[in-house]
Amino acid sequence: MTHEAAAASTQVVMGYSFWIATGIFLIAYAIIVSEKIHKTVVAIFGAAVMLILKILEQHEAFHVEEFGIDWNVIFLLISMMVIINLMRPTGVFEYIAIKSAKWGRGEPFRIMAIFAIVTAVLSAFLDNVTTVLLIVPVTILIADALQVDALPYLISCVLASNIGGTATLIGDPPNIMIASKAQLNFMDFIYHLSPVIIVTMVFYIFAIKLIWGKKLKTKDELKQRIMAMDENEAIKDPVMLKKSLFVLAMVLTGFVFHGVLHFQPATIALFGAGLLLLLSKTHEPHHILAEVEWPTIFFFMGLFIIIGGVVKVGLIKWMSVQVLAITQGNMFATSMVVMWFSAFASAFIDNIPYVATMNPLIVDMAKQLWPNLSGVELLHHADLMPLWWSLALGACLGGNGTAIGASANVIVVGMSEKLGRRISFGKFMLYGMPMMVMTVIISTVYIWLRYYVLKI
Amino acid sequence: MKAKDLMIPLQEYLTPDHTLKEAANLLRIAGRGEEKIGVKALPVLDKKGKLIGILSIGDILKAVYPKYMYLMDLGSFTWDGMVEALAQKMADRKVRDFMTQMVITVKEDSPIMECIDHMLKNNVKRVPVLNKANKVAGMLYERDVSYEITKSMINENTGGGE
Repeated sequence: MTHEAAAASTQVVMGYSFWIATGIFLIAYAIIVSEKIHKTVVAIFGAAVMLILKILEQHEAFHVEEFGIDWNVIFLLISMMVIINLMRPTGVFEYIAIKSAKWGRGEPFRIMAIFAIVTAVLSAFLDNVTTVLLIVPVTILIADALQVDALPYLISCVLASNIGGTATLIGDPPNIMIASKAQLNFMDFIYHLSPVIIVTMVFYIFAIKLIWGKKLKTKDELKQRIMAMDENEAIKDPVMLKKSLFVLAMVLTGFVFHGVLHFQPATIALFGAGLLLLLSKTHEPHHILAEVEWPTIFFFMGLFIIIGGVVKVGLIKWMSVQVLAITQGNMFATSMVVMWFSAFASAFIDNIPYVATMNPLIVDMAKQLWPNLSGVELLHHADLMPLWWSLALGACLGGNGTAIGASANVIVVGMSEKLGRRISFGKFMLYGMPMMVMTVIISTVYIWLRYYVLKI
Repeated sequence: MKAKDLMIPLQEYLTPDHTLKEAANLLRIAGRGEEKIGVKALPVLDKKGKLIGILSIGDILKAVYPKYMYLMDLGSFTWDGMVEALAQKMADRKVRDFMTQMVITVKEDSPIMECIDHMLKNNVKRVPVLNKANKVAGMLYERDVSYEITKSMINENTGGGE
């Protein structure tokens, strides 16, 4: 491509379809943010409008990678949900939680720290909402047994969940989406994100020690309640547990090698889900499949189509031109803008639609910077890589900022309200926002040091 | 046979402002017909006598059962004294927060089969019976319906034998 052609490709034709698609996109996002209508309904209807007005052809929405539904994301999510739904009745999660509490020897802060670490590790491999749903009931039970306030446990768990989820490809939906768009594999995330998350967790444990360490006290006889619990009673189905652990081990091994073996992560997860369904000998897959969070899945599908529409008409390209104009092509500055903007944006809006928008924006930006490259050469350009990691870190860690920043926060706040312990928006932010700022500062130092100073 | 023929006319009832302690006590000593042997549920009426809920002994159990325990299998990890502590904590909470608000009712003139239909499909053992003014006239109990069925069976058998 010549220089003129490259310059011309930054031009966006703002015709009728540009404004219609932009209108659908802005209205849909505004309604999603306002929460006046359920976000899944908005996404499905918005997608349908994109199709009915022929902004996007159905063929493009269903079958074209650039504009359509990212089936890799959809099947990865569904498959992991099926595996977890099959594992849950075995009692393995109750076992892990009770075992953790006993490791804590009934000491309130020790238990809090162990729960935070366990939550972070589980969140790295399961979706965050699932993790908090599995951990939070036990933390409240333990707090009740020790007669200490359950709120610090709830807040520390959900913050840890969002931090831990950042560590791997499958930990948090933004990472799944980034991995698919940027063609990054599981080990890329382990190599580039896990180290900074481990460091972040160390700081996090010190931070919660500072906040709650001294306040949590209990009596020795209450500690005995914890020590008297027998975690082995949690295991309801040892045979299915063995099968589940076998399949889970296979899936994790598959993730480690999927890049080398040229499999998409969704293929690995789908194989795991299929195999575990087969091994479970279920005659009623109906209820296992019914427990898949279909509203989330359809939210993704709708969003992908809405985004596809604005990608096609050039809105995203136009936005990427503006970002590059601000940062003047300085990649470190761009990384920092992306990370901090993502963090604050994700604190207030759902990080899923946010990342769905940012992904094609970054691709468009790359196309303008390196018009001669395409495919993996473009997506994995050495100067572009820090941008993907900045987006992942900002979007995932930003979720901690407010009570509505991540689905896991919404779930925990909702749960505690039902238990008669309301966590107000302000109270959550009092803990969440400083924690978000601290973790994003650590990430800032990491990105700067690793990719711009040490260049490894 | 209609609902009004088998119902027990309304004697005691609760108000939404009763505490759980008062409600539990009333459930224990309330009359069912002539006997003061306790009942398993009482209707909750507002100031104007309108039916707004029903409080059963199951609702009392739910009041002390921590909601988070529904989410996971934690039954093996409880301790002695847990129920007593929660019972004391909940004693002064109001009936309005724990009553079942979706009440299955029947009319005085509803045929008994219709009452059975409601009882089976909604899995309830007792239904308030409303009069024409939509006030609670009485309670229809599963046990009394079943007693009526038993009578019919025996009558038919003796009838057939003659």
